[in-house]
Amino acid sequence: MSDYIRRLPVYLLLDCSGSMAGEPIEAVKQGIKTLISELKGDPQALETAFLSIITFDSSARQISPLTELMLFKEPQIQAGGATALGGALKVLAECIKNEVQTTTATQKGDWKPLVFLMTDGAPTDNLDEGIDAIKNVSTGNIIACGAGANANANTLKKITNNVLMMNNLTAGDMAQFFAWVSSSIKASSKSIDAKPGDPIELPPPPQGFVIVP
Amino acid sequence: MRSGEVLTATLENGSQIQYVYDANAPRGGMKHTFFTPDKRFAVQFFNDPRDSQNPRLQDRIRTIVGIYNPTLSEADGGALGNTEKTAEYFRQRFCWPVAIVNSPEFGIVCPTYPSNFFFGAGASTVLNLTGKDKKSNWFTGRNRKYLEPAERGDFRTMLKTAIGLARTIRRMHQAGLAHSDLSCNNVLIDPKSGSAVVIDIDSLVVPNKYAPEVVGTRGYIAPEVLATLALDYNDPGRALPCVQTDLHALPVLIYEYLFFRHPLIGPKVYSATSAEEDDFLALGEKATFIENPDDRSNRPPDLDVTIRSLSKGLEKLFLRAFVDGLHNPSERPAAMEWETELLRAWDRLVPCANPKCEKKWFILRDELSPVCPFCGTRAAGKIIRLGFKSEMRGKKGVYRGKSEVIVYDKMPLFDWHVFSNVHNDEKADPSMRAYIAYYNGMWLLVNNGIEGMMSPSGRLVPKGSAVELKDMAMFRMSSKENGLLCETTIIGNA
Repeated sequence: MSDYIRRLPVYLLLDCSGSMAGEPIEAVKQGIKTLISELKGDPQALETAFLSIITFDSSARQISPLTELMLFKEPQIQAGGATALGGALKVLAECIKNEVQTTTATQKGDWKPLVFLMTDGAPTDNLDEGIDAIKNVSTGNIIACGAGANANANTLKKITNNVLMMNNLTAGDMAQFFAWVSSSIKASSKSIDAKPGDPIELPPPPQGFVIVP
Repeated sequence: MRSGEVLTATLENGSQIQYVYDANAPRGGMKHTFFTPDKRFAVQFFNDPRDSQNPRLQDRIRTIVGIYNPTLSEADGGALGNTEKTAEYFRQRFCWPVAIVNSPEFGIVCPTYPSNFFFGAGASTVLNLTGKDKKSNWFTGRNRKYLEPAERGDFRTMLKTAIGLARTIRRMHQAGLAHSDLSCNNVLIDPKSGSAVVIDIDSLVVPNKYAPEVVGTRGYIAPEVLATLALDYNDPGRALPCVQTDLHALPVLIYEYLFFRHPLIGPKVYSATSAEEDDFLALGEKATFIENPDDRSNRPPDLDVTIRSLSKGLEKLFLRAFVDGLHNPSERPAAMEWETELLRAWDRLVPCANPKCEKKWFILRDELSPVCPFCGTRAAGKIIRLGFKSEMRGKKGVYRGKSEVIVYDKMPLFDWHVFSNVHNDEKADPSMRAYIAYYNGMWLLVNNGIEGMMSPSGRLVPKGSAVELKDMAMFRMSSKENGLLCETTIIGNA
């Protein structure tokens, strides 16, 4: 029998610009690996969460289409180039339009997508175009995380109200970020019971991360 | 503090307990958890200091650990009338807090769950589940297919799991306590052995104590709680978790154990505005049972096995819970009714004749049409029913039915099949007193330790001897006081 379980689409937008080369990009790869394995260990997340990865350097692309966790294959990621954050948001808007099922009078649609954005620098393309693009699609929470000294909280604030800053780009901090993403997804897949329209309550961010008010 | 550092907590009774600090301690909605170095106990602290410093919460938890504690005998400061035997019985079924921590801050100490509620190595070949706790929804949804068959149990062990849960909740409700957040996360199950353990006991609703501010878990929250969520906590119209809301969550879990689907989640679209709004109505104000006989709007088109495949008694209870009582909490069946009807269904459980049947067992609803609802295989051979009757007090020779069982080869019988004053509950001795054997073309009831068992002709049947179960055969299970009369009926005797 069909089980009528809604999907929880999760989009990760990851900065793969040149400044991420070396330890940070390795930490991102490791983070994705851990994230998948963590989520596969949580029955609710495993049932509902679908994951997609969009990377951006001088341009942006979806490297993993929205896929259920059991079928998700770790993508190849390399660092190099500039920071096309605006482009990444445009790709995100396009992917949501194509991949996320909306609820209609005859069809049970997906949950609102959950978006995690991680960047370590300032956008080098037209950010406003990207911001306009995502205004036209329905997203749930967008959480932007600025990593390292060159990330600018004010820029990220233009995209979403939920901005976290992590001071360093160390492997440890990156691991903590992915652990937090994992618990946020787990929490969302359980607590999709809140009053409709209310923001989803996410767990407190890890130590050393600052929530930008 | 570093992860791995051993810290000391002082308990309310002055004694000390050590626990291992962990920066990534498991964190629930309310609390985070550390373990003692030997991992026998969990030491839990509240996430929010407003909780840990709340005198009303502390007061409520003190009574839960003390006078309401069914896992401690009355002599040890537990619940009134609790014996050590029943306390031990419920220690296996509740993860009940055993002590209060006073310093470094207010917290609780709970035993860790019995080891069969953690996945062992080999539970799955496609997922690494070793050491993870067996939340109910590993077994009842689409995740089930990732588990090894040996891990999944069968219909019989799922029914046993449901009986255990109903009994545990009945015990809690009997004391006036409500769990308030019964869900797939707070009931761990082991379908292999057919057992359940109820965890997260600290958010119990205690009579005359300030209620905890929990709402519950999606899918298990009673419709009235969800529908009035927008009202202020103190608004008289706001429905809060209580015994009656547990009585919604309990049958949701039982239904999931028996059918591997949710009773309210079907194809009906309640709102085209958003998934969130639709879900809010589907589980709240507008909730419709997928098997509602009068309103088929939420019925999946491919529904094959339904509540009509269970016993008539269970079908009625599900209709009361999910049709009459869905939006009318006072109509919901009590936990004790669930326990009673599940046990009656257990007595009608028969093995499926198809060796490949995934469910292996089914409840024999129609004795004249003994067909497995899961695979469609017809039972081979005769159906034999035993009726156990007790002599009415002061009316010699007048008997009243106590229970009925449908027999199968190697079926065990217990004290509650022998004596009128013993019931299948936490007080009964679980030793096998007799068993059914199909031997040389004969159905036998073999005495395994009953004193005074009598044959139909009135001769003593000593231990190791048997009575042949012929149609209309009638005999005393025991000639001792309260001994039951057993009446044999062979159905479709041809």
